[in-house]
Amino acid sequence: MMAAPSSPPARGAQRAVALVAAVASSLLLLFLAVPIGKLIGAGGLDGVRQLFSDGELRQALGLTAFTATAATLLGVLGGTPLAWLLARRDFHGRAVLAAVLDLPLLIPHPVAGIALLLLLGRESAVGGALLAAGLRVVGTPLGIIAAMLFVAAPLFISGAREAFARVEPRYEAVARTLGDSPLRAFLRITLPMSRRGLIASAVVMWARAVSEFGAIVVLTYNPKVASVLSYDRFTSFGLREALPVAAVLAVLALIPLIALRTLRGADDGART
Amino acid sequence: MKRILVVAAVVAAACGGSRAESSAASVLVVFNAGSLARPLRAALDSFAARDKVEIQQENAGSLETARKLTELGKVPDIIALADEEVFPQLLMPAHVTWYARFAHNRMVLAYTARSRFAAEITPDNWWKVVVRDGVETGRSDPQLDPNGYRTLLVLQLAERHYGQPGLAVRLLRAMPDRNVRPKETDLVGLLEAGELDYIWSYESMARALGLKYVRLPDAIDLSSPADFASYATASVKVRGRGVDSVTFRGRPIVYAFSVPTHAPHREVAERFASWLASADGRRVLRAQGLDALDSVSVVGTGAPAGIAR
Repeated sequence: MMAAPSSPPARGAQRAVALVAAVASSLLLLFLAVPIGKLIGAGGLDGVRQLFSDGELRQALGLTAFTATAATLLGVLGGTPLAWLLARRDFHGRAVLAAVLDLPLLIPHPVAGIALLLLLGRESAVGGALLAAGLRVVGTPLGIIAAMLFVAAPLFISGAREAFARVEPRYEAVARTLGDSPLRAFLRITLPMSRRGLIASAVVMWARAVSEFGAIVVLTYNPKVASVLSYDRFTSFGLREALPVAAVLAVLALIPLIALRTLRGADDGART
Repeated sequence: MKRILVVAAVVAAACGGSRAESSAASVLVVFNAGSLARPLRAALDSFAARDKVEIQQENAGSLETARKLTELGKVPDIIALADEEVFPQLLMPAHVTWYARFAHNRMVLAYTARSRFAAEITPDNWWKVVVRDGVETGRSDPQLDPNGYRTLLVLQLAERHYGQPGLAVRLLRAMPDRNVRPKETDLVGLLEAGELDYIWSYESMARALGLKYVRLPDAIDLSSPADFASYATASVKVRGRGVDSVTFRGRPIVYAFSVPTHAPHREVAERFASWLASADGRRVLRAQGLDALDSVSVVGTGAPAGIAR
């Protein structure tokens, strides 16, 4: 602490900055953690108990996990090449494309639901074709997946783009000079080196998908995902019935988040 | 140091300025049922234009609106609901001591020119049309929305009225869970996007939105006070807290409003309530398609003198 022989006023300024930083970050930490802690404290036990007695709750949680995972897989599948393109290739309209991909984050979620309805409803070309093929989107789990994909995929794409950008292009270039095809260079060099960033982005996307409500409820109200069920319980029975649903969702969502963080922690340890 | 002083002076001036502004215009916080959003908006706008009031309106289902008071402790200045029954069931006596019935409504089957069989549907054949293949009919959630359980009541009354045993079940099968949304206003977008052909709604909403609608016989559309007794023979059970269930009986649709006991801006609220009950208020509501009663009737005690006449 005392090592740096700086002049007294500079040390005072440093101390002031450190103090402000400490206060600001502590306040933010409390602001983020206390509501969740209160939610889990108020409804967590009841929620876990209800897991055993409440079939509708189990169903909603299962549906949420399934649809969020499906949406995330689709997002990773389509988003990875897009993110790579944005990070690595300089092409006409790249800035516009990047902005367009951020747009779903800006649109209010019920509006996003309506936009999807116009694309996927039975009167639209796409929705009509899907329906003819026996795939109904509106009012089914497919609608939930579509809503989740729309609102959450931009988070994966921008995270993956950052992850790719952090990998030195030189390594890819070296692999190419040694005879690798672009795909092979990507699979052997870029992908492993950006793996942690990609996983983290996928986790963020999954978490965002789990929490979505506004766009989902426009497309598919029944069957109900956990967010819709908690709204439904709140409206029909009040806070006491809604808290356990919300709390158990928070608790269960924590499990994959912690697991992945732990994995990454172990990974970090192995690297150093 | 000088710079800090300047900043402080600017901030102080800004605060002073905004405080002066906010005291000039008083605020009126209104929570209302989704189907009242437009007529009340119009009424509030013409009241605000006269009285320099800043309006804060929140639209939600009637039950959700009541929950905002009972569960979240959010208290508006005016609460207006699509079912008068919600007042005694959830809000009296803790939150309100009186409510004023101010409008009627009727259940209708709303549609657009693009709806399948739009050219054929009539008040006599609607129950045959909605069960046809490929026709999608939407309804709102009976757990959350009066329109949702009223739809179920209408189906029962229709079965009896048309003398068709099993009709209610067949009709309900034609409106499966995937066509349900939380409240009737949520269905409008789906209707307009062509996802649904018909939706159960209120006459006031269909009129205000310029939708076509089938006007059903009085005996089944829950509009007529004269049919009180026959409406009451229909009933639906809706899941209640835990394993309980709540029974709703058919009754004429009556809208009601109140000023909560702990309304933050009581004086403005009571002025608006009196104005809403006046001939001027009635005219604005009717212009929006709401069937305002010729005179409001108050249930309970403690209503301001301007309303209870």
